Amino acid sequence: MKRFRSYLLIAPTAALIFLFIVLPYVTVLIMSFRAPADGQPYGEGFSLGGYAQFFGQAYYAWSLPQTILLGMATTLICLVLGYPIALHIATASRKWRGLLYGIVLSPLLIGIVVRSYGWTILLGNSGVINATLRNLGVIDRPLPLMYNNFGVILALAHVFLPFMVLPLLSALQSMDPAIAQAARSLGARRFTIFRRVTFPVSMPGVQAGCILVFVLAISSYVTPALVGGMRVKTTTLLVVDALIDQFQWPFGSAMALVLAVSAGLIVLIFARLTRMKWT
Amino acid sequence: MQIATPVLALFRVCIYAFLLAPIVVVVLASFNAGNFLTFPPQGLSLRWFWTFLQNDVFLDAIAYSAILAAASTAVSLVIGTMAALYFVRHAGREAETVRVGVLLPLILPEILTAIALLFFFYEIGIGTEHKIALFTGHVLMTLPFVFLNVTTSLQGRDDSVELAARTLGASRYTAFRRITLPLIAPGLATGAVFAFIISFDTFGVSFILKGTGSAPLPIQLYDYLRFNFTPEAAAVSTVSILLTLVLVTAADLLFGRKA
Amino acid sequence: MTEVSLRALQKLYGKTLALKGISLDVAHGEFVSLLGPSGCGKSTTLKCIAGFEEVSDGRICFDNKDISRKLPEDRDIGMVFQSYALFPHMTVAQNLAFGLEMRRLSKSVIAERVAKAMEMVQLTPYADRFPKALSGGQQQRVALARALVIEPAILLLDEPLANLDAKLRNEMRGFIRDLQKRVGITTIYVTHDQDEAMTMSDRVVVMFDGEIAQAATPEEVYDRPASERVARFVGNANILELPVMAVRDRAAGGFDLTLPGGTPLHLAAPAPWANGALRVMARPEQISLTDPGFGQLGGRVAKRYFSGGHVEYTIDTDCGPLLVLGPTTQAVHEGDAVGLTFDASRLWPMAPESGAKP
Repeated sequence: MKRFRSYLLIAPTAALIFLFIVLPYVTVLIMSFRAPADGQPYGEGFSLGGYAQFFGQAYYAWSLPQTILLGMATTLICLVLGYPIALHIATASRKWRGLLYGIVLSPLLIGIVVRSYGWTILLGNSGVINATLRNLGVIDRPLPLMYNNFGVILALAHVFLPFMVLPLLSALQSMDPAIAQAARSLGARRFTIFRRVTFPVSMPGVQAGCILVFVLAISSYVTPALVGGMRVKTTTLLVVDALIDQFQWPFGSAMALVLAVSAGLIVLIFARLTRMKWT
Repeated sequence: MQIATPVLALFRVCIYAFLLAPIVVVVLASFNAGNFLTFPPQGLSLRWFWTFLQNDVFLDAIAYSAILAAASTAVSLVIGTMAALYFVRHAGREAETVRVGVLLPLILPEILTAIALLFFFYEIGIGTEHKIALFTGHVLMTLPFVFLNVTTSLQGRDDSVELAARTLGASRYTAFRRITLPLIAPGLATGAVFAFIISFDTFGVSFILKGTGSAPLPIQLYDYLRFNFTPEAAAVSTVSILLTLVLVTAADLLFGRKA
Repeated sequence: MTEVSLRALQKLYGKTLALKGISLDVAHGEFVSLLGPSGCGKSTTLKCIAGFEEVSDGRICFDNKDISRKLPEDRDIGMVFQSYALFPHMTVAQNLAFGLEMRRLSKSVIAERVAKAMEMVQLTPYADRFPKALSGGQQQRVALARALVIEPAILLLDEPLANLDAKLRNEMRGFIRDLQKRVGITTIYVTHDQDEAMTMSDRVVVMFDGEIAQAATPEEVYDRPASERVARFVGNANILELPVMAVRDRAAGGFDLTLPGGTPLHLAAPAPWANGALRVMARPEQISLTDPGFGQLGGRVAKRYFSGGHVEYTIDTDCGPLLVLGPTTQAVHEGDAVGLTFDASRLWPMAPESGAKP
């Protein structure tokens, strides 16, 4: 009886997740094997047509490695930018910590459309950066900062940096500060402590942050759409295009699944490579 | 452990600037007096705020987003809190499954979840009419944030206080209402604020599931930005940033010290 | 082996003086404990010696060489932390090897010394385990071995037993003490546990409020405390204020005191400050119970606690309540009238304290 009553607490959430997450994803899986059709979302019967269409056309197939590289670059930049920040916040005095934490979290509270829009203002041909450089006489024609991979990666790194900093920070903060002191007492110098102790001990945070940012980056839509101006074709953009604009549901689903499976494989390989035996 | 070299300090300042730059730039651009987003601005003015206040499309979108956010927050607050209670108090071996399950909407790519919901609602014959799909999507997106916040505040509490209340004669329900609920109120408030902001700002589910007719603010903004370059969008964004700030500050003032 | 000397160490935190001029000499091979309540400056002193805190004034010398300005990594210290601070991502053997690698020793030397150190702390079978898979006591021994394997000039221990349960703590006391004697390393040990300090040390340094109150052998600190505060911190102390009837020798000792009821009590210890009255300390085991009417002072049993090896009594007397330890064979109950006899040879006079609260 008691057990039953406690199940009532989880029942609505369980139903919600099952009905509106699990079943819909199964629907996508099934949809990807349906027969494509013209003039309507999908046709009768099943086929591998959606997959064939994706792998058969270079325009689509090539978007996959490009998207993955884009995701990896974003992840790397987030790690390089996020680590010093996380380290700084973890070692900052109580007074500063709140403020710095706020700065890192603030992008999360601002909508992704607004943030991407901010980047278009900064990076555009007559945007803040180009205008300033031109007025200073450094350049005569605008640098191509937007509508290319550079702009998209920069904006993506910005959008997802908090997702890198937060796990790093929690790993660093759960680390016993005496560990670094112990290393010093044994004769290690600052860089050695970082290389041999701090960084390896924060590895669970590095792993979590990288996986999170990678997955978010390759599946993001708004930022590549606005900053890339549809000139940077990520698989996610193509998926939405196929589904919403072209009504090719089996094809779009197949593409989405190929992307999801590839991402899953990369995450698995990454987790395997960075496996920690000590946790 | 601090590597306090000047180079590193400078690098850090740059990163903090990088984090704030796009937000600051949007706010500054909204005061631009010119017809286009040029830099440096052609004088300061509030004209784009005025334009925006007369633009029913954006005003409707804000109202629509606020109602949608309030409704989905209310639902996810109730069921998310129940799930958190189950997770902290009752879940045994299945705890990890419960946690991952509830966090699935956060872990899975939002755009893919939205597409999955779109198919699903079409398959069951409802489609995107009546906004049920959109509403469901928003509840899903906000649920993990309520769950995470309430879980944290429940885990920080000693549940023996509720047991103590029951030894003093309070019923299960009274003990929860009089003891546990006030104690986790800050967690609930933070969860609610988070949920509201997420719903207000989320793009993927709104974009895919919006159906016909009025659309939430991020979608209107996105549609506008694809073809327009006036600072009006910046004014809209500034108002949206301001709303978020007010909400966060209010929650912090009300509950920040206790949380 | 190294001598450590602290010369008038001062440490300022903002405007508060955490160390008010600590001077201490530790002979080579000596085991010295810094004992005191939390906030007394014992940990700060240790951190200054290790180099994790910079001294505001004063000097720290190892073998007469001033090392006050050296970085911790250059001081050649071995340190054991309260949390052990083992590297969680390294195995036991890797933890031990770390300090040797920092010293750029050859692989074969490292392997040899690590193996020897693991044998020393009886952890050879656990060489390839990660710290997480070890018990608290085992982790403690890894921390000890990691500090010792580098053969440091001195060994510093910061409340290393605080996280262990009572039984293990007792075992580890003996273990650390034996190991220290065997290695013969100069050791400074910080603790707030007076039993720990007494059983392990050659010398106990009692600290209050950033100052050394007394530095002496455990016996001396216990039997002849420098102040009432030391007396009360190191074990239980009964303090009796008694009028002086006659002075035989102020400096060499010899006073005739009188107990309430008129019984004379002879104090053999010196008390140059003695005036009309003296405050005298008697440890609970230095008072014995006899039948009522006998002994030097009468009283009534207010409380009786059986604690296994002996019985603890609180006796109400005209000198106030006194704590007395008696054998378990004695049939004395609460409410009984009793007589008390003092072990006069071990009575110790309390020096007056200026300003400090008792």
